[in-house]
Amino acid sequence: MRILVLTWRDLAHSAAGGAEVYTEQVTRRWAAAGHDVTVFASAVAGRPADEMVDGYRVVRRGGRLTVYRAARKWYAENGHGQFDVVIDMVNTVPFRAHQWITDTPVIAFFHQTAEECWHYNSPLPVAVLGRYVLEPRWIRAYRDRTVMVVSQSTADAVARFGVHNTVILPEGFEPVAVPAVEKESQPTVVWCARLVPYKRPQDMVEAARIARQQIPDLQVWIMGGGPMLDDLRKDAPEGVHILGRVDENDKNERMARAHVHVATSAREGWGLVVSEAAALGTPTIAYNTPGLKDSTMAAKGQLCPPRPEALAAFLVEALPRLQATPVEPLPYGGAHSWDVVADSMEAAVTAFLATTPASVASPSRVTVA
Amino acid sequence: MSTPTVSFVVPTRNSARTIAACVLSLRNQTYASVEVVVVDNESTDDTAERALAAGADRVVIAGPERCAQRNRGAAESRGEFVVFIDSDMVLEPAIASQIVEQFEQHPELGALIIPEHSFGDGFWTRCRVLEKSLYVGNESVEAARAFRREVFDAVGGWNENLTAAEDWDLDDRIRAHGVIVGRVDAFIWHDEGKLRLRGTFGKKRYYGQWIAAYLDAHDDGSRRIRRSGLLDKKGDLMRHPILTGGMVTLKSVEAAGIYAGMRDARKERVAVLPDAR
Repeated sequence: MRILVLTWRDLAHSAAGGAEVYTEQVTRRWAAAGHDVTVFASAVAGRPADEMVDGYRVVRRGGRLTVYRAARKWYAENGHGQFDVVIDMVNTVPFRAHQWITDTPVIAFFHQTAEECWHYNSPLPVAVLGRYVLEPRWIRAYRDRTVMVVSQSTADAVARFGVHNTVILPEGFEPVAVPAVEKESQPTVVWCARLVPYKRPQDMVEAARIARQQIPDLQVWIMGGGPMLDDLRKDAPEGVHILGRVDENDKNERMARAHVHVATSAREGWGLVVSEAAALGTPTIAYNTPGLKDSTMAAKGQLCPPRPEALAAFLVEALPRLQATPVEPLPYGGAHSWDVVADSMEAAVTAFLATTPASVASPSRVTVA
Repeated sequence: MSTPTVSFVVPTRNSARTIAACVLSLRNQTYASVEVVVVDNESTDDTAERALAAGADRVVIAGPERCAQRNRGAAESRGEFVVFIDSDMVLEPAIASQIVEQFEQHPELGALIIPEHSFGDGFWTRCRVLEKSLYVGNESVEAARAFRREVFDAVGGWNENLTAAEDWDLDDRIRAHGVIVGRVDAFIWHDEGKLRLRGTFGKKRYYGQWIAAYLDAHDDGSRRIRRSGLLDKKGDLMRHPILTGGMVTLKSVEAAGIYAGMRDARKERVAVLPDAR
């Protein structure tokens, strides 16, 4: 199959995250399986505009905001008739490829929606415009399309904007070997994410402050870098260690040594850190928020109301139990191997093509937005 | 001595947004012998599937309203203690063990109150959170949720003619039956979602008709509605002047809704039974 993947950034991008890992893991497997794969992404300083990576072709054009127009231009010049299917990876701002690719079937993929994250990432006027005007319009553009998503939460989120034809794909994950370490002797909580407002590290700190009234020897490791680092260090109560960025080995060891992992993010596509912790034998107590809900249930963890007081109450109950009887590492932490993910996505694309012959691909429509 | 079972009964209807977290919190109680029965009223979404995926022991389909669903759930469950939970609630993990402890150590207690915190998004929800925080420990607002099965059966269970104020109705009837009501310390967290004034008015108007029926059936029922308890913790109100203002607005809208609903009900009664005048 000749496959074109449109994504606003590829794994070479400095801010690449979970969605980019997902794309790369799938495309390299497709390429290895004999598919002819092209990934179109925005330009990255110091990387060629056209190169082969892991057996597939990467084309880079345009910047954060111009990549969408660049994709359209590139397709008009080079793309017609060259592909059997186009995958439109939506990361907040969409390509809306189905509106300008008329000779080839287009299927979309949503890792997650932004929604309340607008308020954490943008100044108020932009956030309000983005959350209530732009994003709803962007998502609604996919109303009559087949959309692949990575979790029930994302399926629920796009359904609120009228996108009901969703296929839920598994989340992929490559577990590391469980480090040969003992659990800590004192009750220990680990928290791991970038220190940005929407991950809510301050909720972890506040919950620790409350829980320490009943568990005086509680220790909390907060791992991750980010703009909130200095403020968190200044206000950290006793027992709360703001470790900053730690290397991969240290991170895995601490994850394995802790009794419980806590996740407090406002929204995720899946919440992979929960799967990582479970694969290391550390169960999670997570806020009951989109994405964390999915990974935590798959990892047999606990969901708690998104309030520090509730988190503290859940920790006080859970820690003595988990100290007494640690849990076993969970295979793939409740997620799946990348092989399973690549196969599932291929099956979803094949099923989509079976119902959408290339000759009757959707007609061109005038863009209203 | 055998370990008693705690039966949680959860009525649902199109509760897909919240049911998984609710059932998971019941499943993850520190007390082991727990039974979870979900009674679904013909949801058109996948509430039942999500409840089972989260670990519910059984999903029974029954209606037509939540009191009937709860009675059905109680009949389908086997535990010595029956606890009625709503689908938008999440329980702290110690609640089941505290229920067993209270009932075992205090044989005189027939029912238990579980205190509630609210949470959710938006300004009006924060007003509601403040309001609910004022009710903790206020016996005219709180109502029992956990019952010894024999007590629940002796008073005939939930009143299926009510769809609002049914919790007060049951609480009043068990107390009239001579049952002593105790309480546990751990909290229920109630997911209010995102409150909107218009939605609140409509909901209260719908409930208003049964509030009228409740007041007709209970001589001192009005103490439940007056909410003088709102002024018991004046310090909390003074600390949050903006939320207090919002709460006053919210309560006024609700009162208007209930009043409109009660009027609807009386009109209807007059229309259906012209002789009742």
